[in-house]
Formats: sequence, C-alpha cells, structure tokens
Amino acid sequence: MTNGHHDIYKSYTLNYKLYLAVLIETKNIGKSFGSHCALRDVSVGVREGSVFGLLGPNGAGKTTLIRLINQIILPDKGEILFDGRPMTGDDVRQIGYLPEERGLYKKMKVGEQAVYLARLKGLSRSDATSRLMHWFQKFQIEEWWDRTVDQLSKGMQQKVQFIVTVIHEPRLLIFDEPFSGFDPVNATLLRNEIMELHKKGATVILSTHNMTSVEELCDDIALIDHSQVVLHGNFKEIRESMSTNLYEVSVDTKENESTAADLPSWCHHVSVDGDGNVFRFKLDEGKSANDLVELLLSKCRLLSFHEVLPSMNDIFIATVTGKEVEQ
Amino acid sequence: MNKILLVIQREYSTRVRKVSFWLLTILVPILLAALYAIPIYMAMKPQDRAVVLVADESGAFGGLDRDDANRSDSRFVSNEVVEYRYAASLDYARRVMDDDEDVSAILYIRSRASGAIPTDACLYYRTDLPTQQTRYDVDLQLQRILRNRLLQAHGISDDEYALISGTKINLRTEDLETGREAFLGVKTVLGLVLALLIYVAIFMFGSQVMRGVVEEKSSRIVEVVVCSVKPFQLMMGKVIGIALVGLTQFLLWVALTAVALVGIQAGNSDLFGAAQQKHAVTEIATKGSEATAQMSLSGDMADVPQLVEGIAAIDFGAIVPAFLFFFIFGYLLYATLFAAAGAMSDNDTDTQLFSLPLTVPLLLVLLLLPAIVDSPSGGLSVTLSLIPFTSPVAMMLRIPFGVPLWQLWLSMALIVITFPLCTWLAAKIYSKSILRFNLLASWRRRRNNNVADDKMQ
Repeated sequence: MTNGHHDIYKSYTLNYKLYLAVLIETKNIGKSFGSHCALRDVSVGVREGSVFGLLGPNGAGKTTLIRLINQIILPDKGEILFDGRPMTGDDVRQIGYLPEERGLYKKMKVGEQAVYLARLKGLSRSDATSRLMHWFQKFQIEEWWDRTVDQLSKGMQQKVQFIVTVIHEPRLLIFDEPFSGFDPVNATLLRNEIMELHKKGATVILSTHNMTSVEELCDDIALIDHSQVVLHGNFKEIRESMSTNLYEVSVDTKENESTAADLPSWCHHVSVDGDGNVFRFKLDEGKSANDLVELLLSKCRLLSFHEVLPSMNDIFIATVTGKEVEQ
Repeated sequence: MNKILLVIQREYSTRVRKVSFWLLTILVPILLAALYAIPIYMAMKPQDRAVVLVADESGAFGGLDRDDANRSDSRFVSNEVVEYRYAASLDYARRVMDDDEDVSAILYIRSRASGAIPTDACLYYRTDLPTQQTRYDVDLQLQRILRNRLLQAHGISDDEYALISGTKINLRTEDLETGREAFLGVKTVLGLVLALLIYVAIFMFGSQVMRGVVEEKSSRIVEVVVCSVKPFQLMMGKVIGIALVGLTQFLLWVALTAVALVGIQAGNSDLFGAAQQKHAVTEIATKGSEATAQMSLSGDMADVPQLVEGIAAIDFGAIVPAFLFFFIFGYLLYATLFAAAGAMSDNDTDTQLFSLPLTVPLLLVLLLLPAIVDSPSGGLSVTLSLIPFTSPVAMMLRIPFGVPLWQLWLSMALIVITFPLCTWLAAKIYSKSILRFNLLASWRRRRNNNVADDKMQ
C-alpha cells in the first residue's frame, strides 16, 4: 500500500500559531528499529500550559515518540528542544510519565516503593515521604502504605502509579492511555486531578484512543499515522478547517409545512430530527451559512441555527482511512 | 551516580529482607556443621554389640576346634563391636537365629575339597543388614586368620612378616629448587573446592540477576523506572546490589559456620577433645567410610599430621587474593550477560533458552576438569585459565599448584579488559530489549516473512 493519502492530509496541517512559548518541540525526528521505521520526519510542538493530544492508530509510533521525549531511547535523526534549547538528560526530571504498559514491583510494599520511585526522580527521602503521605490521604489509600502491591486491586495500583508520576511536580506530564483500567468513578477522579495539575501550570501530553476525552480536554492535537504526523495543530482550528458545510436548524414547523420541499440545488437536506422540526442541511462549496439563513428566513420562522463541526472521532477516522469526513 | 546507589540499595534491601535469604543463610552452616559433627559423633557413640554366628565347615577358621579357645590367632575373637559364637553347622546356626533376636548375622564358610584353604565366605542376614562396622570387623578377622594360617604353613615367623609388611618406600613429589613437597592431593582438593565455589556463586547470583531483570520486565515496571534511570544504571545497580547480597551471604556463612563449630565443640568437649578427635578421624579414615577425601589427600591412609603439613605448605597469601579477584570479576562478567539474557526474555522458557549459551563455557571447564587436574600446567589448562570466560574456574583449579606469575597477571589483565567490553555489549542488548516484548516471536515472524519473500521470488 502507499502512503499517498498522507500527502493529501499534509495540507490540513495548519498554520500553527504560537500563543505561548513552546515547552517541548521535536524537529524532524526519525527513528528506526532494524528495518522497521517507527518515526519519519516527525515535527511537533507542545505549547507550555496546554493540553496536547497525541493521537493515532495502534502501532503508529506514539509510544516511540513519547519514549524519545523521555530520553528512554535516542533519535536516529533530528533533535528535541526543551524550553527552546536541545534537551539534556537533566530535563527528564521535569517530566512525569505514566506509560501505557505500567506496573509496580509486586512483592514490595507500596509506601517503600513509592518513596524509591520518587527518590529516583530526585526527591529527598523526607520530601518524598511527606508529599506521598499528602497524596495517599487525598486518594484515601493511606492504609495501603504498608501492604505489598500484589494485595492491591488494579485500580488501586493505577492510583499509586498516578501518584508517583506526578510526585515531583514536573512541568511536563505525559499520560499514555491514562484512563484504561479505571472504573468511571475513578476515571473522573483522575481526569479532575489531571486538570487541576494543568490549572496549576503543568503542560500535559495525553495519548489516548478515547476521543471524547480529547474533545473535552485537549487544546492542540497531533495525529500520527504510519510513522508520520498527518495532522497537527489547534483542535478548534482543525475542526473548523475540516468543516463540511453542515448546518443544523430548528424551525417553527407550525407556520409552514413544506420547509423541506423545493430547495435550491446547492442545499441538500440531510436528515430530520426531533419532532420533525430539527433539520440538517449540507451546502455545496462556495455557499456559506449566510446563504442558508437567507433561504430559510424567506421560508419559515428560525428558532436556532448552528454549524455542525466534525467530531474528533470523525476527524480521526477520516484522516487515517484517507476518506472525506462523513457525518 | 546517586541513582545507581539508589538502585543498589533497593536491590540489596529487598533481597536481604526475604525469608528465603535467611533460610539459606542459616541452613548452609547447619548443614556444614552437621557434615563435620555427625561422622565424629557416630564414631564416638558406643554401639550395641552385634552377635555373629560362625558356621565354619572348612575348619580353617577355628570352626572344628573343640577346646582350643585360647589359640586366638586362628579363631574369631569377640571384641567391643562384635560377639562371635561358633555354631556346628549352618542349619544349627539358622535355628539359633530363629530363636535369638540378638543374632544379627551368620558367617558361613563352606569347606573345600582336599582341605584347601577356603576363598569364599558368606555373611547371611535376615531383614536387617549388618552394620558397616560389623561387616568391617568380620572381614578384618577373616583376613587376619587367613594370613596367620598362611604364615604358619610357609613357616614365616611373626617378626619376619612384620619386617616384610612394615617396610615400604615413600614416593614424594618435590620442587627441585625449594626442596618442598608438592602435596598434590591436598592441592587438588583445595583447587576443586575453590573452583566449585566460584562456579556455584556465578550461577546462583547470576541467575538472581536474570530473574530480577525478567521480573522488572514482565511486571512492566521497567518503563516507569527507565524514565528516571538510564538502562545502564539500572542494570549495573542490579548487578552490584546482588553482588553485595552474595558477599553478605558468604560472610554470614563463614561466620555462622565458625560459630556452629565452636558451639558444637564447647558443648561436647569430652566428645570432641583434640585427642578424641584425632582418634575419631583416624578411625573414620581406617574404616574407609567417610575417608575417601582424606585417603586421596595424602595417599597413605589419612595421616592427620601430614594433612596439616600439606595445608601449611600451601601459599594462601597468593591464593586468597586471587580467589577474591576471580570470584568478583567472574561474577561481574557473567552477571552482566545474564542481565542481557533476562532483558531479552519475557518468560521462563525464554530465560532458559537465552541463558543456555552462558552456561556452556563453565560447563566445558567442569567436563575438562580431570584433564586440568591431571596436568595443571599443561597447554589445555593454561589456555582455559587465560580465556576470560573460563579463567575464573580454571585458574582456581590450577592456583594451589602454583601458577607462573606472568600467566596469573595475563589472565587477570584479560578479564579486566573483557569486563568493560562485556558490560558495554550487555548494556546495549539490555537497553535495546528491555522495552520490547515477544522478541522470539518477532524474530520468528521476521524469519517467516523472509521465507515468504523468497518463495515469492
């Protein structure tokens, strides 16, 4: 198969405006494992204080990119800038990383283990202990301090894992599928914690297949497919740029029964919803919302009018499969 | 550097607190002390006298004598171990044995035609095998009586016999320059002990390193850890931490064994007094049961002073530092490779497969052990003691016999040079494989793909 569709979607890569300073930036990164090319010419920037969604199908190269940022592996080509200068080993201390494949030492006590992992991040023993105590109380898991990990449920382990990820108050937080393994209650708890850290100024990279959470949380996104960045930019702008000229209108049907009838050729009636008073119209290229409003005003009483933008799910599928956005 | 210390600390403290560590630490000295104390205790313990019925049909062993009870040199003589009773026939003896539970065996000596001296005797028993002491005493007395018969028949006096049997020539192996005896037996045993210690330590602690790596990999904690520690630091921290655990265990073994032995001696001073002990050791040795070691030590039946002399003649000043050197470097060399093997595995089957090549060099040394011991300065021995992967064990086999200094230094230099190369290679494999799963499966897939490609062409 060819990667032809990537060239088409390159055009969607938007003129990326830097509202804030870029905290971490990869420049033309390339990485291969043997004959397998994991990343090709990847350039992404994450603005300080933003929530950045790193998306892509399984095996696209997201985890490789995250590992490169964490300096677990080194790139074959290109460079990584942190705070505008080439990244060094010390910068890793300012990163908190929750891997997708995560675990703990099963036979070790929870508290002891958390202290060890926190000390590896550069905290002193006393500092680590007092911060951990605070987090353990917050998550109401103090009584687990002296138990071994294999006595904990999976959700409990995930909480401990989250705590050790953020314990050193890093500037950059990277979460790879953070919500997997959590029940809805705990997933919400985790989401709130992430957003609280974000409010306090942390930059967040979120890699997930959960498109709803991307829509809710992310300011910017990058979509990686077949080792390349195929879409990168501000989520809102991408959404607007991928608009399909689809509008949702609700009208007062009592006045005019024949709204759907005799439409001009540039306006396609897509669907009827609700009690038959919510319509979707798709317009041909060259026609705008104003044209539709004008048309409708002449026919009926307008109750509401808004553009239907593609969801993250639609954008993802369209980009990866190389088809038009379908709604 | 600080991070390596943290890793070392974790490896050490979690292992030293394990129950299995202390179990092993306590059991080994107990075992060693038991090995030492039990034979002596058994030898010193007064035992019940066994009763043996002698049914001597030939008459050569006093079976047909009626009133000749005081002619002890041609009869079985009861002693503290065995009480001998003569029986007229095997049938009679059998009936006595049926009635009397104390009788533990019947010694049956069949008569031979023309009154020739018998060459066969049989010790019959029922259910319970006669003790080794009993069998030994019966055999001793059989040979004694037979010998006396023959001496008598050939008209050789006791004095003449004593002269013949007491005179022998003692072959010694001495250094031409120093004139000191070689004590080959003692040195062989010492070499074997040292070599086995290193062999066992390398595999015991090497496989602990490997298991530790597999544990980190399969529990998926490794990715959490390697984002704060470099894979190399993690690997070396583990290797060094486990080395310290090994040394701790070793020192505890030495100390606890010493305590146990002192304790045994203090608790049973009457049983283990110096004179008693020597008596016991010689007794064990002459009885030939646990004496194999001592016998091979000095050729002549375990002569304790000679053993002591042999040990004194060994140059411990050279052996102890060399042992420690090869112990540490041998372990380090293999431990890093075991770590790499662990990093490539996801499960136990993989572990066995990847660690197999590592066991080959040392196994080879063990297989060639007789050849090395036979000729400690031969070409094969020298070669094996220079190759870094075999030298820790091979050099230990050679070192008690004295190794030319240049060979020792060369061997040490080679292992010191190989160590960083080995570590570099191991670290490379380790950091490349530690985050990849199902390596074997992906290799197979790749191979199958290649095969498929070939077919298509």
